Amino acid sequence: MDSLKRVLRTPLGVGALSMLGLVFLLAIFAPLLWGEAASETDTAHLLAPPSAEHWVGTDSLGRDLWLRTLVATRLTVLLALGATALGVLLGILLGSAPALLGRRIGRFVTAAVNILVAFPGLLLCLFFAVIFGVGEVGAVFAIGLAGAPTFARLCHTLVAGVQERDFVTASRIAGRSRAYVLFKHILPNIAEPLVVQATIGAGSCLLTFSGLSFLGLGVQSPAFDWGRLMNEGLNRIYLNPLAALAPGLLVITAGLAFNLTGEAIARAFNVETSGSWVTATAAARTAARKVPAAFSAANTVPREVLRVTDLQVGFPGSNPVRGVSFDLRPGEALGIVGESGAGKSLTGLAIAQLIEPPGQVDGEITFLGMPLRPDGGEDQRKLLGTSMALIFQDPMSSFNPARRIGEQLAEISRVHQGMNRRAAWERAVDRLRAVRISDPQRRAGQHPFEFSGGMRQRAMIGMGLMAAPKLLIADEPTTSLDVTVQQQVLDLIDSVREEEQVALILISHDLTLVAERCERILVMYAGRVVEDIPASALAVAQHPYTRLLLAAVPTLATDLDSPLAVIPGSQPDPSTQFSGCAFAPRCPLADDICRTREPLLRNAIPPIDDTRKKPGLGITLKTSRMRLELNLGGKPGSPVHTGQVACWHKGEPLPAPTLIDDDLPDETLAGVGR
Amino acid sequence: MSTLRFENITVRFGSVTAVNDVTLEVPNGAVVGLVGESGSGKTTLARAAVGLAPMQVGRVLLDGVPVSRHGPARQLQMVFQDPYSSLDPRMRIGDTIAEALPEVARAEREGQVNRLLELVHLNPARAKDYPARLSGGQRQRVAIARALAARPAVLVADEITSALDVSIQGSILNLVRTLQRELGLTMLFISHNLAVLRYVAQRVAVMKDGGIVEEGPTAQVLGTPRDPYTKELLAAIPGR
Repeated sequence: MDSLKRVLRTPLGVGALSMLGLVFLLAIFAPLLWGEAASETDTAHLLAPPSAEHWVGTDSLGRDLWLRTLVATRLTVLLALGATALGVLLGILLGSAPALLGRRIGRFVTAAVNILVAFPGLLLCLFFAVIFGVGEVGAVFAIGLAGAPTFARLCHTLVAGVQERDFVTASRIAGRSRAYVLFKHILPNIAEPLVVQATIGAGSCLLTFSGLSFLGLGVQSPAFDWGRLMNEGLNRIYLNPLAALAPGLLVITAGLAFNLTGEAIARAFNVETSGSWVTATAAARTAARKVPAAFSAANTVPREVLRVTDLQVGFPGSNPVRGVSFDLRPGEALGIVGESGAGKSLTGLAIAQLIEPPGQVDGEITFLGMPLRPDGGEDQRKLLGTSMALIFQDPMSSFNPARRIGEQLAEISRVHQGMNRRAAWERAVDRLRAVRISDPQRRAGQHPFEFSGGMRQRAMIGMGLMAAPKLLIADEPTTSLDVTVQQQVLDLIDSVREEEQVALILISHDLTLVAERCERILVMYAGRVVEDIPASALAVAQHPYTRLLLAAVPTLATDLDSPLAVIPGSQPDPSTQFSGCAFAPRCPLADDICRTREPLLRNAIPPIDDTRKKPGLGITLKTSRMRLELNLGGKPGSPVHTGQVACWHKGEPLPAPTLIDDDLPDETLAGVGR
Repeated sequence: MSTLRFENITVRFGSVTAVNDVTLEVPNGAVVGLVGESGSGKTTLARAAVGLAPMQVGRVLLDGVPVSRHGPARQLQMVFQDPYSSLDPRMRIGDTIAEALPEVARAEREGQVNRLLELVHLNPARAKDYPARLSGGQRQRVAIARALAARPAVLVADEITSALDVSIQGSILNLVRTLQRELGLTMLFISHNLAVLRYVAQRVAVMKDGGIVEEGPTAQVLGTPRDPYTKELLAAIPGR
């Protein structure tokens, strides 16, 4: 029912379904209402032309052709549906055979289907029609069998796609039979595309059937369908064109009704598979990949490389980034951490002016003294292209697989710096050497697929360093890499940063990794910065979210006897409207203020002096990390939190982690999805 | 629960040797951690155990009895990395768990499902929900409940926290520890993260290029690593 509603939401859906409805109404009621009138012979009006009494004229026995056309709807539709059902059933059977019978027999079936698909459908149809003989049953079989291979192929592809999924494997490991898995798991998950295909298939079956009848191979007298009527009308096409055209028009109408309905269903389901916000992010990411980057303008050097004020990123119906502000000094390393969906990647993309419509960026971004605007002109493009470098998680999709690595690096120098081919190539080799790729001369001549993941990521960094950028934005640069390679890549970024005084924004979900590489960390939650903290002061973080994040992931120093901290529930969806602190539903410290008023970023509370310990604040934190306990005591030399925190209860002690779960009541999870 | 033993396992895909002559024991009631980089063969070894990867040489023994080499083995259950792919979106989670139960009476089934949901700290009322209503951590709990439903002798967990958000990884690790303590689970726990293994595993095996380079009690392997590769892995952990 829900899916029907979704189909009806579009004008196409409404139009197609009402057309189809009309066809079915005719099929049901026309023979009841006009069945007798249609076979009534009227010798007074043999072969009459169209008139007020007989709209389309009469046939050689004086029967009314318009009524006959309407009455023929039932037989035509029934035969088309019969043929479709046969084709679909056979198709599903053949298509799921590999899943049902195992690999070896399945391979034979697939091969047979592949051969059959290679024959033109009409040829198969005529072939079967000859075998089964002239007549409606024969035609149903002919069309059904001829349609089966295509359907089998589609079904096979869909089944293979679902079969790869882990839930199928899990069910098999749990000891379930192949047939069980097919009916319980695979078929329900491919039902939608099958329904779409079957609906469209019914349309083409109807056309083919009418074709066969028209050729005299289908329905035989005295029965009649639209094809038969067209056949009979053709002889007198010059005298009474309507006799052939009327059934023809109905064939077109019914065929269209089936096809458009299929189309509408397909669209309705596509809408579900990609929510607007996800698509928007994906679009932004794709856009980001298209833009490699960078080298230096370096004429003016203002005090800060980047100033971001109240940055907002919005998509229709959601606000994934809701007011982010920060400054970045030359050579400074800033980490942005948060869970997926916190808005950290979008912040990076917005700074690089890579958010595309329908996404909208508000707020001020000043890069090297120049205010950046979404509609910025040539100057801005040049500044971004030469002074900002971007590194993404997946270096494979950042390179053109068909071109040599060296060429792709050199191209940047040739386009932006006007270097000649040779100089640009040498520069590329030099940069590959700078990112510690051994034998750079040879490597520059290789294609991306010849590089390992770590090497590709280095080459990507090398691309960013074709000259000397002022800002490097690295979005999860090592997430897809192995631990040891990860460290090498991060070391490389570090050394580049030191040697060339490049500022860095390192975006990651891994708080410990960021803490090791950055001087300052922005912790983001639901589109806002909740804590801006020096990396050295992480141990005395004051936002409960930061502290829980630290305690939720085991390190080599984690106390093995106590449970890890748990943050129940999940981050609210960017489309959620907030009243109060976004973290409140998951926060152990939340009270009424938190739920009604959103806290703003304010200076962190100064460290407590041992001698003037205020009651309630000096209590040591009993989390799984010993360090917290020591540091809150305010001992000399302990790290100081000089940043900002957005929390009504900053720095207050958290309850010791117990074995609480992330099973929250539904209201807190409403709107949460992936 | 019982002892799982890999004996001289070799798995080849065409000319590529994914697992090369590996012998490893998961003692009864213990969690053995398997660490290594992607491509080191740890997932292939796990899949070989549950009958999903073809072994060219070697045997998988449960209490000394060979596990069927052809087709899935029920006594070994697996929990997968991505809970968004391992649950059928068209099936209520109660039914997903029930399908792994050994043949039981219909009346008994609901009670069993509720018990399993409680075991993984989920509200039994969730049995009627579809996976879409659940968060990543909750889905992974359902996946664990399904694996336990089959009453396996050994549970194989393949990177079960890697696809989850940081904030909920801890809850799954807590659950693994609780279950192990309460049920005495025997478990092969695969992860690329040594700190995670340190938290859940009593013994650790380090895999590289299809072979095991070091194996021993967790404290020993992490405290005084002998193999240079183990040392490298330890050195690479951020925030040491």
